[in-house]
Amino acid sequence: MAHSRHIEAPRAPTLLPVAVFIALGALLPLLLSSGFHVRLAMLIWIYAILCMGFNLLYGFTGQISLGLPAFYAIGAYGFGMLQTMLGFPPLLAFAGTLAIVALLSLLIGLPLLRLRTHYLAMATLAFMLIQNGVANRWIGFTGGQSGIAVPPLEWAGETLGRTEIYYVVLVMASLTLLLHDFLIRSHIGRAMQAIRDDETAAQALGIRVTRYKLRILVVSGVLAGVAGVCFGITSLRVDPSLSEFHVLVSVLTIVVMGGLGTRFGPIVGSVIVVLLPQFLTSFGAFETVIYGVFILVFLLFMPHGLSGLFERRRWSLRRRSSPQADAQAREMRRSAE
Amino acid sequence: MLMTLSYLLLAGLTNGSVYGLIALSLSVIYSASRVINFAQGEFVMLGAMSAVLFLVTLALPWPVALVAVIVVSVVVALGLDHGIYRPLVRRKAEPLTIMIGTLAGAIVIYGSAFLIWGPEPRFVPPVLSLAPIRLGFLISNAQQLSLIVLFFGFLALTWFILYRTRFGLSVRATGVDPKVALLMGIRSERIVQFTFIYSAAMSGIAGMMIGPLLGAHVSMGILITVKGFMAAILGGLGSPFAAAAGGLAIGMLEALMAGYGTSLYAEPAIFVLILMVLIVRPYGLLGDYEAERR
Repeated sequence: MAHSRHIEAPRAPTLLPVAVFIALGALLPLLLSSGFHVRLAMLIWIYAILCMGFNLLYGFTGQISLGLPAFYAIGAYGFGMLQTMLGFPPLLAFAGTLAIVALLSLLIGLPLLRLRTHYLAMATLAFMLIQNGVANRWIGFTGGQSGIAVPPLEWAGETLGRTEIYYVVLVMASLTLLLHDFLIRSHIGRAMQAIRDDETAAQALGIRVTRYKLRILVVSGVLAGVAGVCFGITSLRVDPSLSEFHVLVSVLTIVVMGGLGTRFGPIVGSVIVVLLPQFLTSFGAFETVIYGVFILVFLLFMPHGLSGLFERRRWSLRRRSSPQADAQAREMRRSAE
Repeated sequence: MLMTLSYLLLAGLTNGSVYGLIALSLSVIYSASRVINFAQGEFVMLGAMSAVLFLVTLALPWPVALVAVIVVSVVVALGLDHGIYRPLVRRKAEPLTIMIGTLAGAIVIYGSAFLIWGPEPRFVPPVLSLAPIRLGFLISNAQQLSLIVLFFGFLALTWFILYRTRFGLSVRATGVDPKVALLMGIRSERIVQFTFIYSAAMSGIAGMMIGPLLGAHVSMGILITVKGFMAAILGGLGSPFAAAAGGLAIGMLEALMAGYGTSLYAEPAIFVLILMVLIVRPYGLLGDYEAERR
């Protein structure tokens, strides 16, 4: 597989970069003065959570769910509705939302994951369009165009301020980042990459292909749900625009630009996609075209994305510096000759 | 009672013809290149929107406008082939990556159309008259009937090309194994290019004809792609004719659900139905074992 997006994940990487990202995130509110900037930072983390799920599914397992924005929206709607309609406390509503999202991913994945991957891609895209249609038109339940309000988070009777909410989002994002990193480095991550590279070979090695695909699909759905809940608590309002096509475009742009199948691609991509419109005036109308062109250019010329640039170099450096690997490489070269 | 039913069936047949044409287009491309073209619905949008441009803004007579619509579709299809499909194939990208590439192509086409035409829905002037025609107790119009005729016409044409010409034989050979076809002296890339152009022209014409009935909107493409694909997997993606039949089935089902239930549930219900069909018959109702082959 020549042009593969595949970068072999390091066997025993340090957790240092993860800690650096989290520490940077924790320091960020001290550096940002205006509330608007804190909001942008929250948005970056929310997109990072959403896209880490997508990265696990597409970048590492080679399955595509184009319906993640639907789970993102359902996460936000569910979190709001369970509180306002059924009177759940926030934590219970959070757990309930994740259960709903997991169940939905399971129901969609079960019949589809045995088939070739484009079935999953199209069916999940259909799911997204239907979810959006229902959110728009079932006005009595979802509030239609104007959406529903999400009750603000409270702690000991007081409503949380913007900075506290930022830290709630950061905790979620850090947990997601740790999970993402753990999955990649563990035997699960290696099984995922085996499935991505060759399903038949993976099966021959004793990997239960369908079961793994289904699990990762559910994980990605749940992470999208977490991102949705985070969006709900930051904006206090949910409307159908959460599962519109442009969200999917953003997700694809983030993952492809950041780097498919890389450790930090989703975060790098989120930073760019959230901040880019802030620097370019009159970006609005051109946004879709620009993102589309970005996806194409990166697919063609930089399939490992921005994060792949430095991650790949570091990994190859490490491999070169290890004497054992050196000996192995020499061995292989000799046998090839 | 019977009248409502047959009226709904006629409406279903019209929409089903469009879905069928998209399913046919997707399946023709798929059977030659193993790629799902996510940009297929965008050609319907381009057909409808550029029909507005040629018929209203430039006030061309309709045969000229039809040719112009075909030219637009073919040019964009060539762009898709040379800008996305070929470079990715030459870099040995996997089918999945190529699929994301065509989705990016759809995003670019949609974004450009948004820049040109803006978000407002447009009225597409009918080519044929909308005056009612009586068919027994059914009331229809020439525009609606022309779509159905167009569908069956393209179905026959596709069948003729694929199964009655030497060229069709090479198209099918490419679908079976592009490398072996190449060894036999078939230029696989040309074949794939042909399927892109042929499908785009089909979808563009369909867009021009459905525009007056559905209304044209720059964001209509992706929904049409998805419905066309749903149709194709209901029938069976591997065979163009099974896929087209799936299109008719989806159109009819949609019309019946909207007529007897509410249109709110039509799409979710069809989606659930297709999921259930995929559990029982993973390769579509009329399809072969195609879906599992890698």
